[in-house]
Amino acid sequence: MKDMVSRTGNDTLLSIDGLTLDFRTNRGRVKALRDISFPVRKGRILGIVGESGSGKSTVLWSILGLLAGNADVTAGRIDYGDKNLLTLDAEGLRALRGEEVSVVFQDPMTSQIPVLPYARQMSDILYRRSMSEAAKRAAAVDMLRRVGIPDPESRVDAYPHQFSGGMRQRAGIAMSMLTGPNLLLADEPTTALDVTMEAQMIGLMRGLRDDFDTTIVVVSHNLGLIAEMCDDVVVMYAGEVVETGEVHDIFHNARHPYTRALLECDPARIADVTRKLPVIPGDIPDLTKPLAGCIFAGRCQKAMPACVTTAPPLIKRGTGAARCHLLEGPLADPSWPPAPEVPTVARDTGTATVRGAAKGEPLLEVRDLNVQFRTMGALKARMNGVARPFVDAVLDVSLDIRPGETLALVGESGSGKTTLGRTILNLQSAAGGSVRFDGAEIGNMAERRFKPLRRDMAMMFQDPVGSLSPRKSVRALISEPLLIHGAEGRDLDAEAERLADMVRLPRGFLSRYPHELSGGQARRVGVARALALNPRLIVADEPTAGLDVSVQGETLNLMADLQAEHGLSYLIITHNLPVVRHIADRIAIMYLGRIVEDGPAAEVFAKPAHPYTRALVEGVPQPDPDRRRPPSAAIEGEVPSLLRRPKGCDFATRCPLARDACRVEKPEHRQLTPDRRHACLFPLIDTQDNKNKTETP
Amino acid sequence: MSALPSDPVVSDTTATSDALRESAGRERREKLVRFLTDWQGVTGLLLVVIFFASAIFAPWIAPYDPNAMDIPARMSGPTWAHIAGTDQLGRDTFSRILHGGRVALYIAAIGVSASLSIGLVLGMIAGYGPRWLDNLLLLAFDAVRSFPAVILALATVALTGPSLTVVLAIVILTTIPSYGRVARTATLALRHTEFILAERSLGASTGRILFQHVMPNVIGPLLILAAMEVPVVVSIEAGLSFLGIGVLPPQASWGTILNEGYLVIRDAPWMVIAGGIPLILTTLGFTFLGEALRDIFDPRMGRGR
Repeated sequence: MKDMVSRTGNDTLLSIDGLTLDFRTNRGRVKALRDISFPVRKGRILGIVGESGSGKSTVLWSILGLLAGNADVTAGRIDYGDKNLLTLDAEGLRALRGEEVSVVFQDPMTSQIPVLPYARQMSDILYRRSMSEAAKRAAAVDMLRRVGIPDPESRVDAYPHQFSGGMRQRAGIAMSMLTGPNLLLADEPTTALDVTMEAQMIGLMRGLRDDFDTTIVVVSHNLGLIAEMCDDVVVMYAGEVVETGEVHDIFHNARHPYTRALLECDPARIADVTRKLPVIPGDIPDLTKPLAGCIFAGRCQKAMPACVTTAPPLIKRGTGAARCHLLEGPLADPSWPPAPEVPTVARDTGTATVRGAAKGEPLLEVRDLNVQFRTMGALKARMNGVARPFVDAVLDVSLDIRPGETLALVGESGSGKTTLGRTILNLQSAAGGSVRFDGAEIGNMAERRFKPLRRDMAMMFQDPVGSLSPRKSVRALISEPLLIHGAEGRDLDAEAERLADMVRLPRGFLSRYPHELSGGQARRVGVARALALNPRLIVADEPTAGLDVSVQGETLNLMADLQAEHGLSYLIITHNLPVVRHIADRIAIMYLGRIVEDGPAAEVFAKPAHPYTRALVEGVPQPDPDRRRPPSAAIEGEVPSLLRRPKGCDFATRCPLARDACRVEKPEHRQLTPDRRHACLFPLIDTQDNKNKTETP
Repeated sequence: MSALPSDPVVSDTTATSDALRESAGRERREKLVRFLTDWQGVTGLLLVVIFFASAIFAPWIAPYDPNAMDIPARMSGPTWAHIAGTDQLGRDTFSRILHGGRVALYIAAIGVSASLSIGLVLGMIAGYGPRWLDNLLLLAFDAVRSFPAVILALATVALTGPSLTVVLAIVILTTIPSYGRVARTATLALRHTEFILAERSLGASTGRILFQHVMPNVIGPLLILAAMEVPVVVSIEAGLSFLGIGVLPPQASWGTILNEGYLVIRDAPWMVIAGGIPLILTTLGFTFLGEALRDIFDPRMGRGR
C-alpha cells in the first residue's frame, strides 16, 4: 500500500505544481494562491511558514480537497503517487483522506466530537478496516500510549472535555496517526497551546515521524516551531512561494528579502536587548487588484523600479529556490544576501531609548491580593460538606509599578494573570488584599466612585478586533472615552483625528468599522482608546497576540514611544517571553495564581531562581535549527487544575528538581536581592552548596 | 482599498474631511445598490409598499363601500363588477380586503413595534442584569407564554367588553416573550465578550453599554422576528375576531373575511382564497424585506471578510 511510484522521482511523496486558486467574494475575485510549486519529500517534515493572509493554510486544504465552496482552482496539479488530487473525484478523495493522508487541527477543542468518547471516535476512524471492535480498541489504546497519554486503557473511554488542552492535542495526533498515514498535515498544531506544551508536541511529532516513517507537512507562523521541527521550509507571502530550501539554508542563508526581513523581525533572534524592534513597513497587498511585478516589492527595502513591473523568476540556489531579481539576471546584486548579522530591515531608532531605572514612589501597589471563583452554590456546598467552595485564581499576589516603568506579568494559560489585571482595574472583585493607586486604596471600590479613576488607568485587551464594539465606526470608538468622561467644549472630530495621528493610524480609517481593520490597525485603535484620557497606567493583556511578527514590532515600538513621551507605566500581561525581554523593565512570573519569581527582566532571564522560570525561558523554541533542544529538555506534564492545587509547592508536580520537602511545604516568598523575590525552597541561584544538593537528590 | 499613510488624499487635512464625506456617501450608495440588486429585497419592499398604500388609501381605491350590500350578486364569483367576488350578504370582497388591511396595518404596526421595544429592553436587562432578575423575567416570559392567548382575551373581554384596543393589548402582551427571549440569549452571548469588558474598563454606564453597544448587536434578529411576527399578529386578530371578541362584525378585517369564507367554503371557495392571498403576500413581503435589510445593515455581513 505504501509503495508509491511517483512521476517526479522516488523520494517525492507529494508534488504541488503551479497551483493557482481564487476565492469568489463580494469584493471580487481574491487571487489567493498564484503558481504554488514545491515538492514534499518522503519521510521529511516540511514547514510552510508565512504571515496571516499568505495562503499557507489554503495550500494545506487544497491537498485534501477540503476548500471552501467559493474557491476556484484555475490551474495546477497536486500529484500524490499517480493521482492528481485536484481532479480526483469525491470518492477517490474520501478513500485517501484518513487512510493515507490525515490532519492535525489547530484547535483540539473544536475538532473533536464532544459527545463521543475517544474509544468510539477512534474506532470510527478505522471503519474501513475489517477488524473486530476489540482489535480496534486495542489499536486506539496503543496509539494513545504512544502519544503519551497516561493510563490509556481507562482514558480511552474519556470524553474530550475530560482531557486538558495538551492531552486533547495529543489525542488529536493519536487519531490522525491511527491509520498509519503516509502523509500527515498539521495546521498550526501548537498555536492553541502553551510554551511548555509546544515543546512537548514538537518532540512528539518528530518522534512519530521517526517511528512510523510518516511525512509531515506543518503550517505555522511560528519561526521557532519551524526551526525546531522541520527539515524543509517553504516561505509564502501573499499567495506566492517566495523561497524554498532546507531548514539550515532558510535560517542561516535566506536569499529572499522577505525571508530575511521575517527572520530579523523575530524578537527571539535579536540578541541585544533593545526597546525598538524592527518592522516591515507597509501592508500585505490587496489580492483583489491586478498584480504585477514582485509581490513583495511594495514593502521591500531593496526594491528597484523593475521589481514593480517585472515578476522575478524562481532562481535555484543551494538546497532550494527564491523568487528575487537580486539573485540573477541584469539586476543581480553580488553583495546580496549580506552576512546574517547585517540588518536589512530598517530599525526605528526613534525617541524611546532611555531605560533608566524608574524611581520614586510606586504608582500601583498590590499587596496580598486574592481573587476567588466560586465552584458551587453556597447551599450545595453546605449539603455536600465542602468547606471552601472556591478556587484561588489569584493567591497572595504583591507587586509594585513605578511611574514610567514596564512590568511584565508572564505565565501560561490558567496562571491567573488576566484575572489579576482585571482585578487591578476593578473589573473583577477581590476576595482580600489591597490595591493602592497613587497612594489611595482602590480595591473593590463601587463603580460610581471608581469611574474618575478610569481616566488614569486604561486597559488594552487581548483580541484587537474583538475588543472593539462591532457596530461602531473607528471615529466613534476613539472618541467614546471622551464622551463617557464628559467632553464639554471639545471638538470630538478633532480629538479623534489627534488620537489617530498619535497612534499613526491614517485618518481615512476613521470611517471604517472594526471588521474592516487588520489586526495591527485594530490594535492601534485599541491603543488610541486607551490613551484618549491621558492615563498614567495601562494594563495591556497580550498586546501582541494575534499579530504577525512584522506588525508586532510596530505595536511595541508605538507603546515604547508613547511611554517615553507621556511617562506611562505599563503592566503587560503576556506569555511571549522573547518579546518581554525587549520591552520589560521588570518581570513577574505567575504559576497557578501565585507569583513565583519577580525581579529585573535582564537578571531574571540571565539567572532564573525558580525552576519554573528556567523551564519557561528554555521552553521557547529557538528560531535557529542549530540550537534545537534535546527532546528531554521540555518539562513534563501540564499546569494542574486550580481545583487540585498541589499541597506543597504548586510546581512540585512538574518540577524536575522537586524533592520530598517540596511536596509538603508551601514555599514562602523570599527576598533574594533588594529587588528580586522568589518562592522556591531550593532556588537555582542560592549557594554553590545548594546546587550540589540539587544534583544528588 | 486601504488608504496607506503615503496616500496623498490622507496627508492633507482639508482634503481628508472631503474624502471622508465622499467615502461615507459612497458607502451609502453602495448599500443602496446592493439592496436594489437583491431581488428578494426589492420584491419584499414592493409588497410591503403595496400593503401600506392599499391600507392607507383604501377609501379612495376601493370600488364599493365595504359594507354596501349588492343583494342580487351575493355569493358571486369573480366578475368584472366584483373582481374578488362577494360574500353571503353581497358585499364586495375586494373592497372588504382593502379596508381589512387598515385593521391589519393598525394592529401590526402598533402591536409589533410596541412588543419589540418592550421585549428588547426586558430581554437585554435579563441578559445583562443580575441572576435573580434574569430568573424573574424568564418566569414572567414563561408564564405569559404558557397562558393561552384566547383564554386571556376572553378574561379581559369579560372585564372590558370587546374592542380593537383589547385585541391590541393581548397581541402586545403575548408576543413580548418571543422578542424578550431572543434579546436575552443574544445579550448573554455578548455579556462576556471583550468589547463589553473594554467598555466597562472605560467607565461606560450600564445604560450606555446596553443601548449603545449591546442593542445594535442584538436588534438584527429581532427585526427579522418582527417581520415574521406581522402575519402572526394579524392572525391573532383574525382568531379573536372570529370568536366575536375582536373586531366587531360589520367592520371588515382579513380575519373576519377568512372566517366568513370558511363557513361557505364548499359553495364559494374564492372567498377564502381572496382573503388568504393578501395574508400570504404580506407575510412574504415582510420576510423578504426583513432578510434583505439584515444583510445590508449588518456590517459584518458586508464586504465579506
